[in-house]
Amino acid sequence: MFRKKHIENLSESEIIEFAKKRPDYFGVLYDRYFEQIFRFVYKRIGGNEAIAGDLTQQCFIKAMANLTKYEDRGFPFSSWLYRIAQNEVLMFFREQKKHFTITIEERHVISLFEEATDGGTMSLEDQEKLVTFLNEMEQEQLDLIELRFFQGLSFTEIADIYAITEANAKMRIYRILEKLKKKWMTNIKS
Amino acid sequence: MRKFTVNKAPKSSEPSKEQIARQKDFSRLHHQYETLTKRGKKPLYRDPKLWMLLFIIGVVIFLMFHEKS
Repeated sequence: MFRKKHIENLSESEIIEFAKKRPDYFGVLYDRYFEQIFRFVYKRIGGNEAIAGDLTQQCFIKAMANLTKYEDRGFPFSSWLYRIAQNEVLMFFREQKKHFTITIEERHVISLFEEATDGGTMSLEDQEKLVTFLNEMEQEQLDLIELRFFQGLSFTEIADIYAITEANAKMRIYRILEKLKKKWMTNIKS
Repeated sequence: MRKFTVNKAPKSSEPSKEQIARQKDFSRLHHQYETLTKRGKKPLYRDPKLWMLLFIIGVVIFLMFHEKS
């Protein structure tokens, strides 16, 4: 008990070093990050508690088993956990024999519509069209759109997950939006 | 693979505190970790190297007693 309390007061990198030697101390990191990783997975899965719980648990097991390989490269420890969680979620989607349906909130679709089409009013038909476009997108592009618009992550957080610079994350997302805009315009003209 | 549909009801997509508490369990995680890391170990009786060592020790003891007698 004394040890756990003592370790909680240490810096994150010190806790990681302790946890590398004694897996019991990983509990401190688990307590600290469980909620945010669970929230992340829960939203990506579309609100399925049981699946989100299993995937989060799987993510922490992998983190615990590979902690000795973890190196501090200037990104926060949480970004490493997010990356593992992201891979777990993608692996889950890949394993699904049928399409796994995710419900996204209307307000998120509207904000994406505003970004991709320079604003304007959005009819129900537009909404359906945009969702069809999303469903036709490549998985990698869709991941970025999902993280930014449906998960509400900042460019810095996305950059940390992908281990790229913030400018690079911005550029990738704006390119996807440009592509979406072009597709939208072509569709309107036709 | 995933497919999106739009949720028009104003239902929150955030998990509740109860849901988080239900899923958070470090002892379960620790147990799964232990099972995972200790799974690969072979029991002693199925280790061929150990068998060979025991066999050699046995032969040496046998020879020693055999010579004495």
